[in-house]
Amino acid sequence: MLFNSIDFAIFLPIVFVLYWFVNNNNLKLQNFIIIVASYLFYGWWDWRFLSLIIFSTLIDFSIGNLLNKEKEELKRKVYLWTSIIINLGFLGFFKYYNFFVDSFVNAFTFLGKDIEVSSLNIILPVGISFYTFQTLSYTIDVYRKQLDPTKDILAFSAFVCFFPQLVAGPIERASNLLPQILKKRKFSFNQGSDGLKLILWGLFKKLVIADSLSPIVDDIFNNSETYSSSTLFMGAVFFAFQIYGDFSGYSDIAIGTSKLFGIELMSNFKFPYFSRNIGEFWRKWHISLSSWFKDYLYFPLGGSRGSKFQAIRNIFTVFLVSGFWHGANWTFVIWGLFHAILFLPSFITKSNRKFLDSINILKSVKSFFIDGYRFIQTFLLITIGWVFFRSNTITDAFHYLKRMLFTFNAELYLHPRGYRMIDYFILIAFFVFYEYIIREDERKPFNFKSKYIRFLAYVLIIFSFLLFYDDGLDRSFLYFQF
Amino acid sequence: MFKLIKKVVFYSILILISLELLVRVFHLQNERPNRYADEFGVEKWIPNQIEYSITGKRKQNVGKYRINSIGFNTVYDTYNPFVDSVEIAIVGDSFIEGFHEDYTNSLGQQVDKVFPNLKVLEFGYAGYDLADELHLIKAYEHYFKNINHTFIYLRFTDDLERNHYVESSRLDLNSPIRTVAKQIKSLVYAKDIGLFSSVAKTPNRIKSFVKGNKILKIKKEKEFEKNLKRLENFKKLMRTYPIEKSKFTFLLDERLCSAPFLKYLAENNFNVLDYGEKMDASKKQTTLVYDQHWSKEGRKIVANLISDYICNKSLMIK
Repeated sequence: MLFNSIDFAIFLPIVFVLYWFVNNNNLKLQNFIIIVASYLFYGWWDWRFLSLIIFSTLIDFSIGNLLNKEKEELKRKVYLWTSIIINLGFLGFFKYYNFFVDSFVNAFTFLGKDIEVSSLNIILPVGISFYTFQTLSYTIDVYRKQLDPTKDILAFSAFVCFFPQLVAGPIERASNLLPQILKKRKFSFNQGSDGLKLILWGLFKKLVIADSLSPIVDDIFNNSETYSSSTLFMGAVFFAFQIYGDFSGYSDIAIGTSKLFGIELMSNFKFPYFSRNIGEFWRKWHISLSSWFKDYLYFPLGGSRGSKFQAIRNIFTVFLVSGFWHGANWTFVIWGLFHAILFLPSFITKSNRKFLDSINILKSVKSFFIDGYRFIQTFLLITIGWVFFRSNTITDAFHYLKRMLFTFNAELYLHPRGYRMIDYFILIAFFVFYEYIIREDERKPFNFKSKYIRFLAYVLIIFSFLLFYDDGLDRSFLYFQF
Repeated sequence: MFKLIKKVVFYSILILISLELLVRVFHLQNERPNRYADEFGVEKWIPNQIEYSITGKRKQNVGKYRINSIGFNTVYDTYNPFVDSVEIAIVGDSFIEGFHEDYTNSLGQQVDKVFPNLKVLEFGYAGYDLADELHLIKAYEHYFKNINHTFIYLRFTDDLERNHYVESSRLDLNSPIRTVAKQIKSLVYAKDIGLFSSVAKTPNRIKSFVKGNKILKIKKEKEFEKNLKRLENFKKLMRTYPIEKSKFTFLLDERLCSAPFLKYLAENNFNVLDYGEKMDASKKQTTLVYDQHWSKEGRKIVANLISDYICNKSLMIK
């Protein structure tokens, strides 16, 4: 079920009413309702893959409790690796099997030896990368004795399958989500109201920003060899906004929906395009994944301890694995590598943790020019990276970049269906302006003191749905494929 | 919680009112004329309505229409075809009706302007199929017998779904509830951009889910059988409403037609004017941005084709 569908608009109020009005907020019953609703939410896409979630839940629940009882370190390690192998095994099979087979065959062909290995027609279960990482975090935390395992199977199931963040995150840590699920929840007006506002803002990012730009981006990337460098640049910038609108829109709806059920999820995006260097960008982009890799990969590898070489190796490993997590394609690996290279200078000069405050280019003339320059420079570098992310193959990506960066020719872009481009420039300008205004708190997009301005913002946002809604578009979220 | 629900309801009402105002201020909504069925049972627009027709989002295509005394969108107040004058008629659905352009530059007018002594009479009405068109021609036989030549627009995939004429349910669109709904401009606009089509599809999706997530197998007849049925419908309609073949030409897109249908037309000496090939060859967009109807370019192509056809077949001679 998609957040931006009518099905969800019917589903959500029903679950909300059942959740808060049934049996005087009985915790067990509420968790049971979460599980049923989540399975329905997921099964709406395909019932068959529910078995994977249920299996994963049972395995990690059992292993969590076994880890707690077991004192012998070797056995504890065996339990941990059993969980890791099962979870990553599913992920590897469904997501990467064909990729490895194809790469294997290509490698042999490259070496002059033709081999035949048949690939399988595998459907990628929606959200498998997200819930696999979530359950893994639980087992690892229990193994590290940072978390007590729960004996409540209902609560644990609700933690694994909590529908707002089941298919595209934020990837929650057991230490944040599980205690909330185990605790009796009370409805709060402010929390509910904030939730609804975040849902509205998320829908705007998805339906208006991402979905409007998607046909233009598709056209430019699919026909890049016929367009001028200025058009290709526009296509890359539009994709930067499309993917941000799509993914952060999803996260906002997920966080907003959770608030309606009295549960706070972690923030996933903090206005990442207002970043002054790559380090700042990665503190603001897909935070739940970056911090997951930091805690469960970067630190275990040694982090920044040890020699400089080891630290750089660890950074490259994290970025490459992060790229590969996004999809079974070399384009994602190159995207990860590109970001590792961008990150490296600030890591070496120790400026990666330099900008911890939010950007304010209007603070002074100096910051207008210096911070303005930094954030434009960072945005342009990130946009180049997005070309790898969006292209179908590495060759396509390099051709695109070659035309965009080295064959300068400006030409007015005309969309084959005759879209009026000025509308989209105005839309993006409005979006950037609005995000800049609200940049202090990503969880409060309508945080204006005056209730009249707040109301005006609601009206403008909803009016933009009417202006940009397109019935003929495929409205699924980009990150569902990861 | 009730406080939240109350606030949501209150804000929703205020927002809906504001949206209605904004839609009206920017005039985003389409103003459709009202319909009626005349004394012959021919469905048309109520005469003498002048307004703007808006297609797509953000007012991307605006056309002024003017319904004449007969009930069709055209520059001519009325139709008086005489034996001595030269008239061409174009009969068809929304493509011919031409609400997507100003009535002064309609398809008919574009042809009209090529020939100084020619009047092109337009009989376009959204939703007409061949049964409607032939019924109209029969009902207004006194016009059509004096008209030099008539082009009948025929979209093979849509216009041959029935083999006899019955009054359509489109007139229900004039029901009191719908008339009131038409006054809520934001509703009209939202419907036009397809905002409610997802709602309409919801029952099917729920059914599909309940039935074990199998994709609903809509009982689709095989394309071949469908095309055969269309051909049979065409034959039956031609038997019911016989036409003088030399005075009629079917304006159609051969890309959409089945081979047996085209073969039947050729073997039975029906005149055909295909616009599909020219549309294909065009480098410009021939349909509107958010709509399947012809764009300026599409209309120009069809008007040129009709003009050439009139010249080549010497249709200007009585």
